[in-house]
Amino acid sequence: MSDEPGSGGRLGGSGTKRVRDRTRAPFICLCLLPAFLFLAIFLYYPIEETFRIALTKSAGMGPETYIGIDNYVKLFANVEFLAGLVHVFSWAFWSVIIQLPIAFLVAFSLTFYANKLTGPLRAIFYLANVLPSAITAMLGKFIFAPRFGIIASLANTIGWKWLGSIDFLGNPKLAFWSVFTIATWAYTGFPIIYLMARIEQIPKEVREAAELDGATGWRYARSIVLPDLGYPLRILAVLCTVGSLKLFDLPNLMTAGGPGNATVTLGITLYRDGFIDWNYGKAAAIGVVIFVLSLGFTIAQFSLGNKRGGEKI
Amino acid sequence: MRQAENTASVRRGSKAIRVRHGAPEVFATALLVVLAVVVTLPFIIPFLFVFKTQLEFIYHPWNLPTKILWNNFIEAWKAVRIDQGLINTLVVSLGAIVATLPPSALAGYIFARYRSKATEIAFYAIMIGYFVPAQMVLIPLYKLEVASKLNDTLYGLFLPMAAFGIPFWALIYRSFFKSLPSELAEAARIDGAGHAGTFFRVMLPLANPATVLALILVFIGAWSDYLLSLILLSNQEHFTMQLRVASFLSAYGTDRMPRYAAAPSSRPPLRSSYISWGTAG
Repeated sequence: MSDEPGSGGRLGGSGTKRVRDRTRAPFICLCLLPAFLFLAIFLYYPIEETFRIALTKSAGMGPETYIGIDNYVKLFANVEFLAGLVHVFSWAFWSVIIQLPIAFLVAFSLTFYANKLTGPLRAIFYLANVLPSAITAMLGKFIFAPRFGIIASLANTIGWKWLGSIDFLGNPKLAFWSVFTIATWAYTGFPIIYLMARIEQIPKEVREAAELDGATGWRYARSIVLPDLGYPLRILAVLCTVGSLKLFDLPNLMTAGGPGNATVTLGITLYRDGFIDWNYGKAAAIGVVIFVLSLGFTIAQFSLGNKRGGEKI
Repeated sequence: MRQAENTASVRRGSKAIRVRHGAPEVFATALLVVLAVVVTLPFIIPFLFVFKTQLEFIYHPWNLPTKILWNNFIEAWKAVRIDQGLINTLVVSLGAIVATLPPSALAGYIFARYRSKATEIAFYAIMIGYFVPAQMVLIPLYKLEVASKLNDTLYGLFLPMAAFGIPFWALIYRSFFKSLPSELAEAARIDGAGHAGTFFRVMLPLANPATVLALILVFIGAWSDYLLSLILLSNQEHFTMQLRVASFLSAYGTDRMPRYAAAPSSRPPLRSSYISWGTAG
């Protein structure tokens, strides 16, 4: 590397007065080079290309013609894209409304009634979170499959024909909720762990004082723990929303966006347009929409952070 | 939940404060245990089916298997070529580690220890990658890989994976190196170590906890990847485990399931339940 052993330089940022160090700048450049090489090839260039391709029309790898903002204009008249947009936002809404309260209740009960079972239970609730999405989807399909799925065959065994005949993933009205149920099963583990870590940071004295004042159980959760979790809960809400914008794996694996457009997400429309219809311009435009939306929510996340002294996840 | 009868017996001195809650604690814990069982069922139930023959599965899905049959395992192994899939996934995961960690550690170290206007700008430039969802760059990435003949190769898969991971891990390494006392680096310099020597001999070994975390999480991330593999790999031989599971799933897709219902539709649960265990990262 570029350093000469014994050069009398100082580390930047730590020293009192700077001594001229000729190896400092080359060392910095050499250290940053690999990271920037990766990002330049696989990130900066593709980002620039996405914006450019979004303004063109082409058939697959064929020649591109510049068509201005036509792709974006058409998107907002496209049924599939609009369905994706609606699903992504309702997914975000329901994850916040359903998954976060569940996570809070579980995290609070686990920390409040800390006993020998707490450790194993925490591990169990987190278990599904580490599964690859392909496996989560497989187990999900296995549960909801018609006739021989877990629910159907259990219902048939005990004679509930009405339940056994429901096609959870094939029915346009139920498919979204079936996928969402599996996602809740798989993804609620993370907010539980995160909130537990936050609740455990509350000083023991607070708990003792609350107990002495008679604020026990639910009252303690509502009046003392919940206000203290304002920031982490908001962060989780933003993560849910940004995660929903990028949602692709589970719906694509379980229903491929179907039946019809019942479980289409922005990621799935991008995939369909780009890699099935080979309509690169349109797919790139969807990519830009996903980027702009998630950037908006990320900025919201960081501005929330700044209000609390730049606290980050 | 009122707890009038609560006998807040707070034992001081002991590490954890033990408060007796009586009935509410028992109730809440029981509820949590029930919930834990429900959460675990999808992992356990496949074991009921995986050892059964097709007939046994259709007529007595909920009985314990009469004898342990390994046929389903063997069939699944052959149908999906699990061996090939595991090797491919292992190559991708290890490749992702090798490609992600060194650039992240080096960059994180610079951002933590060599702070100046220029490195500050470089830091924000790298952080851009943290905000950009992979979906956004899929199209150009695919075009790039086709143009440079990288597509459908395993390194063509783990290199962009690393690029997407570097911003996050540089951030983690940065905060880790920041937390190390700067006196250590200064002592190394006084003892005659150069910039690189200080980093490789003193600072990097101290960052082992961060490195271990990165090793595990990058491995799991690469192992579970679906989207990038789906787009960049096309030859079945190169398929990773997740793609094999996925193609298995779509071969018996829900909309097609009724048509297969007569005979083969009972198979996917049998086989798939095994595959799910083979690939659970």
